[in-house]
Amino acid sequence: MPSAAMITTPKKSNKILMAGNKAIAEGAILAGCRYYFGYPITPQNEIPAHMAKRMPQVGGCFVQAESELAAINMVFGAAAVGVRCMTSSSSPGISLMQEGISYLAGAELPAVIVNICRGGPGLGNISGSQGDYFQATRGGGHGDYRTIVLGPASVQEMYDLTFAAFDLADYYRIPVMILADGVLGQMMEPVVLDPDRRSRSDLPEKNWALTGAKNRPPRVIKSLYMGEGELEEHNLRLDKKYRKIQSQEVRYEEYWVDDANLLLVAYGSSARISKAAVNMARKRGIALGLFRPISLYPFPSAALAARAVKIGRVLTVEMNTGQMIEDVRLAVNGSCQTFFYGRPGGGVFDHEEIFQYCLRLMGQA
Amino acid sequence: MLSREEYHSGVKEAWCPGCGNFGILNAEKRALVELQLAPEKILIVSGIGQAGKFPHYLRCNFFNGLHGRALPVALAAKLANPELTVIVHNGDGDCYGEGGNHFIHTIRRNPDITCIVHNNKVYGLTKGQASPTSDKGFKTKVQPYGVIHEPLNPLALAISLDCSFVARGYVGDLQFLAELIKAGIQHKGFALIDILQPCPTFNRVNTFRWYEERVYHLEEDREFDPKNQLKAFHKALEWGERIPLGVFYLHPKPTMEEQIPALAAGPLYRQKIQPSKVLDIMEELSALS
Repeated sequence: MPSAAMITTPKKSNKILMAGNKAIAEGAILAGCRYYFGYPITPQNEIPAHMAKRMPQVGGCFVQAESELAAINMVFGAAAVGVRCMTSSSSPGISLMQEGISYLAGAELPAVIVNICRGGPGLGNISGSQGDYFQATRGGGHGDYRTIVLGPASVQEMYDLTFAAFDLADYYRIPVMILADGVLGQMMEPVVLDPDRRSRSDLPEKNWALTGAKNRPPRVIKSLYMGEGELEEHNLRLDKKYRKIQSQEVRYEEYWVDDANLLLVAYGSSARISKAAVNMARKRGIALGLFRPISLYPFPSAALAARAVKIGRVLTVEMNTGQMIEDVRLAVNGSCQTFFYGRPGGGVFDHEEIFQYCLRLMGQA
Repeated sequence: MLSREEYHSGVKEAWCPGCGNFGILNAEKRALVELQLAPEKILIVSGIGQAGKFPHYLRCNFFNGLHGRALPVALAAKLANPELTVIVHNGDGDCYGEGGNHFIHTIRRNPDITCIVHNNKVYGLTKGQASPTSDKGFKTKVQPYGVIHEPLNPLALAISLDCSFVARGYVGDLQFLAELIKAGIQHKGFALIDILQPCPTFNRVNTFRWYEERVYHLEEDREFDPKNQLKAFHKALEWGERIPLGVFYLHPKPTMEEQIPALAAGPLYRQKIQPSKVLDIMEELSALS
């Protein structure tokens, strides 16, 4: 075991070069995550590798589970006793975790789950992909529930949003998913570490956590409601929580939108590439703009609709055959034209490709 | 007369130079030639991991499915078509970790399947994490302070479950390994062959040299009797300075397929659906209504 002297605290405003997966691990550690459970799968192995090294240094615990099912249930147990904990995996492994995620949602437990998405369906490949958007934003497992889903587009955001995920999980008692992909997980970028960052001050006390029953009645964590009307009441309470999240936790970025006459909508890796396409267009005097959802659930429907209706044409760009476009269409609700450009199965487009597609749409190619 | 070439798939192997999997492929081809088992009569089922790639490199029917789930797939395939020779190829992480539950329950069911485990005591495909069979203290980039858990002993576990054939091979002893694979395929019932193989890339501890200094054949012990479960269990616990190879335990018993009456008339896929057989039930139901 490492000695206390080995504990490395990054210097204030330390800007260092870091891979996305490592930034997620560091963001979690900064947020006070001290329990990590996971199972090997590419392209996210750097997260458990970094957690394995760092957890003992910060007084935490790393467990390599025997399967993803074990890992998510270890998260379930750690969350139930009130500690900050997380797991990470990639697409097929996240599918295996869905039963546990549904139970976490039902039992209203805070936890952070990272999906460094790869190409699917099935085993697919290990290339970056956005094929898990539906699974992530529609709950993924069985039952009428949602999880908060955050889609970082840079290594800095992987660090920042992972930190934010722990606060959101505790505030709303909900599983929060970081939905990134193999490209973001593997690439290196400068990250400004912020060791002084603290959690929001209004986090509720964990008066539900299983901490022993000395001088008080025992607490129960469950997602089983068999009594007449109990489950309906429980679901309505969850729905009320989801509505609050929809009204308060929307995150998005707008880029060159004010005078745009074609609005690109993209998140994560495809948003980075779309941003480069917008830059390319702007240099040639072509008015492209970008709307980037950061919270994928809650989806920034109102903000997108307000912008889209002014511009009149929206192009959704995804590394899949069209998933987020359903949320885009629901958001704009017929108020403007919607188009789609995508590459599935781990195929990644470049900015030139998107730029050329935009030119064709605008009748300039 | 089937030659070795009949089993070449022509697909280039994506394993590191020096990987023990080449030895397993070699030994299996040798066994299949000696048994004269036609490629079309064989179904190889694999999961995910370096061992999961195995059937791609052998000319036969194959199913490359989910991580840890090769055994349930193989069991159902064997039930649907007992005429197939079903061989499962999975790794230590695949079979004993992710698929550990299936391993236990497939042994209980005793289908006539040969389960070959490529045991290199490390995860290769995901680049070097400790596996369920890694020894205590084994260091990797994900276990930088060394493994703190007891390793899983697949042979002792299988013997405790009264598995009908339990053996251990070693890729450094190819002719012996080929004989074990032959015996496993010929055995009627669930046959586990755990194969010790070095991983030159991610396991620098359990190397060829490490094994060469330790392995010996169970046959050298004249008093050893593979029909004695307790003695077999005792032998399975031997690990360290000396590592036994060979057939540890043999208990012939009825297979799962033999105990399912519907299969007596031949494989399900060949049986015709006979609506007349359900007429009695339909009459019974209509009498109730």
